[in-house]
Amino acid sequence: MLRRLFYDARIRDLFWQVAISASLVGLTVFFIRNASQNMVNAGIASGFDFLWRSAGIDVPFTLTGYTSSDNIWALFWAGVTNTLLVSLISMLLATLLGFLIGLARLSSHWLLSAIAAAYVEFVRNIPLLFFVLFWYFGVIAALPQPRDSLNLFSAVFLNNRGLTVPAATSGAPFQWALAAILLAFAAQWLVSRWAARRKAETGADTPALAIGLVLCALVPVAALVWAARSTGWDMPQAGRFNLRGGFVIIPEFVALLAALVTYTAGFVAEIVRGGIGAVAKGQREAAASLGLRPGQILRFVVIPQAMRVMIPPMTSQYLNVLKNSSFGAAIAYPDVVSLFMGSALNDTGQAIEIIAMTLAVYLFFGLIVSALMNWYNARMALVTR
Amino acid sequence: MSAASASLRLWQQRLFSTPAQTAITLGIAVCVIWLLTPFTRWALVNATWSGETRADCAPGGACWVFIRARFGQFMYGFYPVAERWRPNLFGLVSLAAVAPLFVLTGRARLRLGIAALLLLPPLGVWLIGGGYGLAAVETRAWGGLMLTLFIAIYAGLIAVPLGILLALGRQSRLPLIRTLAVVFIEFWRGVPIIAVIFLASLLLPLVMPAGVGVDRLARAVIGLGLVIAAYMAEAVRGGLQALPKGQAEAAAALGLGYWKTTGLITLPQALRISLPAMTNEFIALVKNTTLVLVVSILDLLGIAQSSLADPAWVGMNMEAYLFAGTIYWLICFALSRWSRSLEAGGPKGH
Repeated sequence: MLRRLFYDARIRDLFWQVAISASLVGLTVFFIRNASQNMVNAGIASGFDFLWRSAGIDVPFTLTGYTSSDNIWALFWAGVTNTLLVSLISMLLATLLGFLIGLARLSSHWLLSAIAAAYVEFVRNIPLLFFVLFWYFGVIAALPQPRDSLNLFSAVFLNNRGLTVPAATSGAPFQWALAAILLAFAAQWLVSRWAARRKAETGADTPALAIGLVLCALVPVAALVWAARSTGWDMPQAGRFNLRGGFVIIPEFVALLAALVTYTAGFVAEIVRGGIGAVAKGQREAAASLGLRPGQILRFVVIPQAMRVMIPPMTSQYLNVLKNSSFGAAIAYPDVVSLFMGSALNDTGQAIEIIAMTLAVYLFFGLIVSALMNWYNARMALVTR
Repeated sequence: MSAASASLRLWQQRLFSTPAQTAITLGIAVCVIWLLTPFTRWALVNATWSGETRADCAPGGACWVFIRARFGQFMYGFYPVAERWRPNLFGLVSLAAVAPLFVLTGRARLRLGIAALLLLPPLGVWLIGGGYGLAAVETRAWGGLMLTLFIAIYAGLIAVPLGILLALGRQSRLPLIRTLAVVFIEFWRGVPIIAVIFLASLLLPLVMPAGVGVDRLARAVIGLGLVIAAYMAEAVRGGLQALPKGQAEAAAALGLGYWKTTGLITLPQALRISLPAMTNEFIALVKNTTLVLVVSILDLLGIAQSSLADPAWVGMNMEAYLFAGTIYWLICFALSRWSRSLEAGGPKGH
């Protein structure tokens, strides 16, 4: 009887699973009991009440209007928005720079391709933290003092205290401009769908390029120019020792952004090269023999197929950017790790709650990035029947 | 036609065959010269190589005297000078033990490999950390390149076995084990490593019984090891999935159980396939060891960073970063070349 039980595969499977879950539960209970005992000994509170206490922590750079008299919950959100801000801008710029370098790598020009290859080998074999520290303590700290700022048209000033740009005194015109631009994009989407259907049904061409230019370029430019003219500008003024006015982008942001973009671009370049290289040569040749021009070959044949190869690794690069934005903690960029896991944790001592909330931020936004990219991937995927 | 003129023709074709190409070549050349000339002048021409103090350094050039004066610290951190033979000895013993693995084959190689894996790690902790007859050196005195290598190797020793177990768990037919492995892997892959190092340094002491301390360095190594294990698991999974199903089926037909099938048939082949991917994860680990800086452990980059605060050597930022960066680059570049050559060699037939 026992022998039969021992050799029954289902019983054995069950036994192993019960044994493993029991030991995991045991370990968890052990940890929790120790933690609660240690917390009682150290006089640390538990629960999330600390979130409503006044934070009293100054944040040098925030988009949420946080001030040091707000509570810790507001501090948390100031950190989260700063994390998202630097991540999103880095993703965008790293994609652009990475595409350029990847295309240079594929160029038939030997020197251009060699320099792109050297850049990729350089960047990929050095720690990101090195770049963060290098940009912050090596480059930005070596920039001139505020009174000798480097300036562009006396409007944008760069110095070792950061980047000072003109600030709009009123945001309302920009909100109207943004609405107009979104409307134009929506219209472009509808027009292109209508044009594709008409082309499929009647074969008639639509002046797609002209309509597209008007909707996607002329409307946004006009809207932005209108907004820029109808708001007032607070221009930075060079004073005796310091700059007055304008909006100051802190040096930590500039350094972290520069490091994330230059580092990630090396990885994006390799993905672009791999994606375009994965498109079979016969595809281009067949397209050329059908009479497509080089630009058309790239647009209708190579890029759609290369995108399919590139989207999954690009997703993981975007996730890496999101996670790597936490490197800002090393130079005190006020992101969620340095504000919440650093300052707030030091003040309250409530390690478990704070660490759980911080990790949840990354897991949550990581899931959103993956979901968006998967949706895009599904749209681009080969439609098979 | 001589070989020299043939190669000249090749270069002419590569760089100057059309007007557009010539323009690009010249444009790049101007940019490169514009960037490299001041750098070369600073790093080599106007640089000072010998001397004792900051005062010996000429202005307008790199002060390599600084690196020379700090070399011992960059390599060992604040490890006592009289005891530095101990990490050196451990390095030599490890090299002597690992080198034959590349020459030997078959059973002898396996035996040596297992012996090295079992004996070297505790030997290293004893030699570097002391105790049992050697003078104890606290981990806060460890630092520099020695510490970078120590963290990378010991975190790797956690990550590789755990990663293999996780990869097997993810492929398991037992639903509970599969779920646990997936949750573990996706959790650690989803959070930033810097947060994990904070987490390990804050939570490990908290969940241990009162009075049981966990060394600061050990916390960082455990934290890094856990995260990299999740990434290793995905690398190993790639190898397991690339293996034809027939291998496991044939083993089952011969009457081998799960552990024998795995240990003798599928895992050895899967590991060979995933070795390049695992090497890439190890490169990532070497780069991520720098993050221990946030819990004030001074590895190579940390020592370089902290040396900038020395009032006797103000303004040595570029020299320190350049030196540390070059060492990281050399290590990672060598590893990535090795990984690429493994990939080119390909898995040996199954």
